[in-house]
Amino acid sequence: MTRRAACSTRQSRTRPNRTCLRPASSPDEEIARLREWIDAGAEWSVSQAPAAAGSDWWAFRNPEKPAVPAGATHPVDAFLARKLAAEGLSTAPEADRATLIRRASFDLTGLPPSYEDVQAFVQDKDPQAYEKLIDRLLASKHYGEKWGRHWLDLVRYGDTSGFEQDPYTLEAYRYRDYVIRSFNDDKPYDRFVKEQIAADEIYPEEPEARVGTGYYRVNANRDMLFKVEDLNRVEKLTDYVDTTSKVFLALSVGCARCHDHKFDPIPQKDFYRMQAIFAPAVNDDVFLEYNSARFYSLAWNTRDFKLRNIADQIKTIFGDYGKKLRNEKLQAAENPQEVIDAYDTAKDERTPRQEELVTEYEDLAKVGNDEIYAALSQEDQERIDAIEKRLVGLFKNYGPPPMAPGVIDVGRESPRTYIALRGNPEAPGDEVGPGYLTALGGGDIPDPPLHAPTTFRRKHLAEWIASPDNPLTARVMVNRMWQLHFGEGLVGTPSDFGLRAGKPSHPELLDWLAVTFVEKGWSMKAMHRLLMTSDAYKRSSVESDSARTKDPENRLLSHFNRRRLSAEEIRDAALLASGDLNEKMFGPPVVVPLDEEELYGITGNPSDRWVVTWDASEHVRRSVYLMQRRAFQQPMFQVFDAPDGMATCERRNESTTAPQSLTLLNSRFMVERAEALASKATTAEAAWRMAFGRAPKPEESRLAEAFLAKQKELAGSDEKARVELARSLLNSNEFLYVD
Amino acid sequence: MKMTRRDALLRTGKGFGALALAGMLEAAETNPLAPKAPHEKARAKSVIYLFMHGGVSHVDTFDYKPELQKRSGQPLSVELAKTIKTSFIHDPTKAILRGSPWEFHPGGKSGLLISDLYANVRKQADHLAVIRSCHSNVFDHAPAIYLVNSGSQFPGRPCLGSWVTYGLGTENQNLPAFVVMSDGSTKSGPPAYSAGFLPAVYQGTVFRGGENPILHLRTPPGVTDSAQKETLGLIEQLDRSHLAARGEDSTLEARIASYELAFRMQASAPEAVDISGESEATKKLYGMDDPKTEDFGRKCLLARRLVERGVRFIQLYSGTNVGDDWDDAHNDLIGSHVRMAGKTDKPIAGLLADLAGRGMLEDTLVVWGGEFGRTPLAQGANGRDHHPYGFTMWMAGAGVQGGRAIGETDEFGVHATVDKFDAHDVNATILRMLGLDHERLTYLYQGREQSLTDVHGQGEFSARLTS
Repeated sequence: MTRRAACSTRQSRTRPNRTCLRPASSPDEEIARLREWIDAGAEWSVSQAPAAAGSDWWAFRNPEKPAVPAGATHPVDAFLARKLAAEGLSTAPEADRATLIRRASFDLTGLPPSYEDVQAFVQDKDPQAYEKLIDRLLASKHYGEKWGRHWLDLVRYGDTSGFEQDPYTLEAYRYRDYVIRSFNDDKPYDRFVKEQIAADEIYPEEPEARVGTGYYRVNANRDMLFKVEDLNRVEKLTDYVDTTSKVFLALSVGCARCHDHKFDPIPQKDFYRMQAIFAPAVNDDVFLEYNSARFYSLAWNTRDFKLRNIADQIKTIFGDYGKKLRNEKLQAAENPQEVIDAYDTAKDERTPRQEELVTEYEDLAKVGNDEIYAALSQEDQERIDAIEKRLVGLFKNYGPPPMAPGVIDVGRESPRTYIALRGNPEAPGDEVGPGYLTALGGGDIPDPPLHAPTTFRRKHLAEWIASPDNPLTARVMVNRMWQLHFGEGLVGTPSDFGLRAGKPSHPELLDWLAVTFVEKGWSMKAMHRLLMTSDAYKRSSVESDSARTKDPENRLLSHFNRRRLSAEEIRDAALLASGDLNEKMFGPPVVVPLDEEELYGITGNPSDRWVVTWDASEHVRRSVYLMQRRAFQQPMFQVFDAPDGMATCERRNESTTAPQSLTLLNSRFMVERAEALASKATTAEAAWRMAFGRAPKPEESRLAEAFLAKQKELAGSDEKARVELARSLLNSNEFLYVD
Repeated sequence: MKMTRRDALLRTGKGFGALALAGMLEAAETNPLAPKAPHEKARAKSVIYLFMHGGVSHVDTFDYKPELQKRSGQPLSVELAKTIKTSFIHDPTKAILRGSPWEFHPGGKSGLLISDLYANVRKQADHLAVIRSCHSNVFDHAPAIYLVNSGSQFPGRPCLGSWVTYGLGTENQNLPAFVVMSDGSTKSGPPAYSAGFLPAVYQGTVFRGGENPILHLRTPPGVTDSAQKETLGLIEQLDRSHLAARGEDSTLEARIASYELAFRMQASAPEAVDISGESEATKKLYGMDDPKTEDFGRKCLLARRLVERGVRFIQLYSGTNVGDDWDDAHNDLIGSHVRMAGKTDKPIAGLLADLAGRGMLEDTLVVWGGEFGRTPLAQGANGRDHHPYGFTMWMAGAGVQGGRAIGETDEFGVHATVDKFDAHDVNATILRMLGLDHERLTYLYQGREQSLTDVHGQGEFSARLTS
């Protein structure tokens, strides 16, 4: 075991910087601790090592608001200053305004600023120009699209439920839209938490809030083809415990499914006490508006009855013609009647010889719909025409139901929960009731009142999490915001505040931010404003030589962390640069056309699994609205490290690979962007403005002119030369990175 | 002013393509695919994993069961029937045993019994260590495929090929390290060759058919090679002055190198898949002269060519979710297995013979398997159902002592009984053949050192394979 620890820490040391998560303490210390513990007999129980180690863990104690150190005007800078000074690190100067507006725009909206926006900001003489910029970006409808996407990563959002059948979660998008709206409305975070965990119990009369319980429905879910419902239920509940504890509390309670947690004071019992909270939850359709949802159901009911009648007619007509045509074709067989008899025999009653014949003549016997249409008599043609008209009539007002996926409790009585011995649900141990985590004080969730319609278990959990007295909730969320603004959290493991997380890089700052967050009414926009107005956020991303040596990971933030755009940002920025972006918000997931080679490997038939949205103007909408299949990720999103939606994702990898370059260079999507950009930008200057939001420098203009001349020769025309210039700009690091 | 490597590169003033960023591509700290030393001496340098997905019947291919033949038509004992779950057989206690319609014959000097379905592979029997005691309890396709590949029946975890390339890097930077070839659609989709939480660079790269096997490898329609090269040149110039204004940044440098690599891939990958230089005899060996075996034969031949070029891990999927499918055995055991074995038998035998003839089998591990076997019980009149409780894989090459079987199922082929191996044991074994210790190959994710085999894999059996 010590060997394993020794080796794994060696692996983490050699990992590239960008994906490196630091271990809690030095590897040698850890190994020494393990050895000590093994020598002592390797006892493993919550009452021993972990609990003793964890009871006074900083993350389990309530944050107290420390005094802001003197010496800086902005509190964030005041907290950062001491360690910078201690290391003798000077800070990078403030970035220029063009850099600042691009940084702030991508960070808040996921889109770059236009050339005009940049110019206006650069020339704005108002001393409050920067603050005004932040306010404008926070008020943008695109803010929710960007930060909603961060949240969707955390709650493992997908539009299908995965596995071989990968069926659609048809109205999952209503939850996605709810998330975007919540961010745009600056819904207080405590309220946002409560709605998702238990709106059905806390706000039962508010459908908009209850859409939040889609949180439980946008996950992966094994298809139900076979007899695995019991297993599926266990996996579903495990996902709820794992995701909820990681997302809201940054605790890996899921690790205690089979045994007491190996590092944190989370006994196995806690896993099942938490599971018991979710045990009574069942799927429910949230009626967005009661009457229209009822009318929708009634219309569906009537329409379905009519459809069955129509389908029966179609089956009869097509069946008769199909058989006739098939028999005609089978006349070409060696012994036609024998084959026809084989076909006419029910599958289960065929002799082996007949089975063979059916297989042998499969291709010959095939009759296509077009052949049947061609063979229809005048009279049957009229019948089919009438049916088609009726179908159009039945569907002309058809659309998605005014409902959203959510959950409610099955009733006041919950199914029982037992500790599964070694995690095996077929080996039930003691029964447990719902309760809170031992490490955070423990306690049971009380039984519901006698005539309650629900158990109220999730309500208790939600109120316990979304409470100023919970030591983790506010800290976890401000740390996520910090990470997304600065590239690295104050706690480097944003979904693990357990003992392995180590101490925050700036503990007082984290606590000050957490308390301030609650004081400001859990307003996320207030926190953005606070973080982004600090000097630290405004610093240039150019690293000094001393910073490189003394603080190579830039934990002290002497300069800003440059970052690559995310998959969505690359696609959206390319659409904006080419002038094609459709800014429409919300609605069913959009399926964009993909080339055959891009669809390669999709499970099942692409005509079922990749139903391209008919309206082409939808294809250029923002990435957050695109279909997210679990069993098939769009190639561009996959190569640029978008999450697959299988489990909560607290930070994305930021990889650099050759397939990424191939995608940017050669994919149809990117080539179309270059063509569109080139058709709008007839000069190099215009191309620079559209792609980079700035004019080219003189030497860049000269470079571009020489390039265009050369490409005119090679590519054959001015237009083609301009497309090549546009391709170059869209592939450049200036386009792909934010300083 | 100190002279950085970047300055040196800039000052050479050479254009794109002329200057290979050798240090960049080979340096372990910037290139996650740079070759890395294994934990211990490796027997295999590369793996070719032949994944017959959909479910191949073990009792009709590599696991001969005389008792099953004898009792064909009779029910299983209720006691035994109650131990298995099935997908389409409604009640195993009421189903009947079905003997294999194929004959088994001894192959090679060893006399290993293999059915007529794999008559060509049978001739290579002396290379094969047949593992008859694989088992799991997952009986639908996608979860079972995920389990075999990634150690979890839920998608989202890195699969074997990704762990291997994470652990070892690759010998050839101009080709992907981990290549997947399939018949198009699979039952599991890309999660079966996903890098999961490992960086995307370890993802399996799907080779499509045709001369440009890698997605987006082809220069866009209407763009000539010279125009493309000019464009790449401008990108590099823009990126270099962008970098110069920002000082050192290994990520920005890696991005510049990634275009260099993409450019090299555009040359290397078509060369790797261009088999026009292979002799007719070789193509024939792989069955490329027969339309039935042409497709899988080409893939097997490509696998050999990729191994020759230093590709680390190649996985071939036989079977699809729409079309030719081992899983058609539900209703048609004979038809499906004749068709699918017919497509794969000769190419696989050709691959083994070719690798052996070229001396490549010594350090190439060939693995044959799938997500589960099929029921010794009949489904309907003509079929067999899914069956994970006992099934067969085999391995060859890289020091595997062939011509023998390891492990056993019971007299009917229902349960693995002797030397049982689960997916973790098999994966730990494959890693060990590559010189990787499954307990030491870890990656820190969500606060935990994750591994392919988690706490399992204690049944690692490479020693038995090779002695």
